[in-house]
Amino acid sequence: MRSVMTRALALLLATVLLAACGRDEPDTEQLGFYAFGTLVDLSLYPAGQYDVEAIGTAVQEELEILHRSWHAWEPGSLGRTNELLALQGEFSAPPSVLPLIERGREMEALSDGLFNPALGKLVAAWGFHQDEPDGPPPDAATLAELLDDPPGMQDIERNGVRLRGTHPDLQLDFGGLAKGLAVERVLELLAEHGVEAAIFNAGGDLMTLGRPEGRPWRVGIRHPHGGVLGSIELEGGEALFTSGDYERGYDWDDTRIHHVIDPRTGRPSRGIDSATVLHRDPALADAAATTLMIAGPDAWPEYARKMGIEHALVVLEDRIEATPALAERVQPGRDQEPFVVRELP
Amino acid sequence: MSVGLLRWGDALIGVLAAGIVATAFALAYTPAGEARVLVISQAGAAPQHEPLDRARVLEVAGPAGITRIEIEPGRARCADSPGRQNICEASGWLQAHGEVAVSLPNRLTLQVRGPEPGFDSMHY
Repeated sequence: MRSVMTRALALLLATVLLAACGRDEPDTEQLGFYAFGTLVDLSLYPAGQYDVEAIGTAVQEELEILHRSWHAWEPGSLGRTNELLALQGEFSAPPSVLPLIERGREMEALSDGLFNPALGKLVAAWGFHQDEPDGPPPDAATLAELLDDPPGMQDIERNGVRLRGTHPDLQLDFGGLAKGLAVERVLELLAEHGVEAAIFNAGGDLMTLGRPEGRPWRVGIRHPHGGVLGSIELEGGEALFTSGDYERGYDWDDTRIHHVIDPRTGRPSRGIDSATVLHRDPALADAAATTLMIAGPDAWPEYARKMGIEHALVVLEDRIEATPALAERVQPGRDQEPFVVRELP
Repeated sequence: MSVGLLRWGDALIGVLAAGIVATAFALAYTPAGEARVLVISQAGAAPQHEPLDRARVLEVAGPAGITRIEIEPGRARCADSPGRQNICEASGWLQAHGEVAVSLPNRLTLQVRGPEPGFDSMHY
């Protein structure tokens, strides 16, 4: 009897110890670096299976190429394209820019023009075409001029790889779309390297590839006013993108000037501090987050519906509003008020 | 050894069972979100884990200068970091599991973690 008791006790202790050991052991490998103008974080599953250094180098190199090609104000493929569009003559477009133009057209149409990548001149006028954004903001006369017959994506004529600009103020800026497309490309690259499951996080915006065995991905969502807004479990192939007034901006005469410009007023959008979108298409999630922020507190559900977005939430000064589908999936953080659910019209 | 009807083994099991119940009770009622560790992740370097057990100040060098981190029992904050937008400092005290502050100029993130399972990634 004594021997049975001793064995049972030893077994119990071993089980407790094993459980304690297993709880904190990560099943993913992390890799962090700076690329695409932001902090990049890559989680690979399962741990210990990949040549992490080779994968990190490949991702970093790809992101550097995309960053140089798509940068809105530094010399590169997009910069050269903007110079040639301004001349309004026909030219052969760099291949890397064509997908941006096509997705840009699509997003402009889906958003009824709230997302307009042709307004680079307006964004530059607000001081956002520099690494450290700064004022002064444009005066009323400059704004009136920029808003009088503003350009749109329809002002680019395309014939195969040949493009021609048809508006003198046309200047492309794919902020709010380029990161989504870059994320899409990186996930393709990871799959080409045989990665089974991963989360690719670029400056807070992220997408999953596959999922760990036996569990979903666990993602925390930071509140734009500080703290944790909540958490969400993601399946494979889901992208989570946020556009917020805290991302890029500066203070001018005690007013916060942020980088999301409303094409209707020519000024930084108002009323929504941040908009978050979950979708399987990262480019759409990226553009839709910007669009919902511009749409404002009353109209954001209408624009979510127009763009085919079922999972979205917006942070306002005093509350968080969410679509029914996202409210169901996000577990609010400690001390968070329940979300106000807004039905899509 | 025996005390009344109990043998020494019975007493040992009784003590162990009581210990397990007490531990389970303590774990169940400990605030799950309480931060215990600060994870400093800097691009290109292995993450640095700092226990949030005593007050101290850390200085982390990055490409744009020094980020000064204040640690107190159960919390940490980005006290000073390069960059005119003060995004890192504006995050305030990080004290609930998962809270994060980011310094883009110095290419680092600060995240506090508690006893509950960590997030695979942080969306911000």
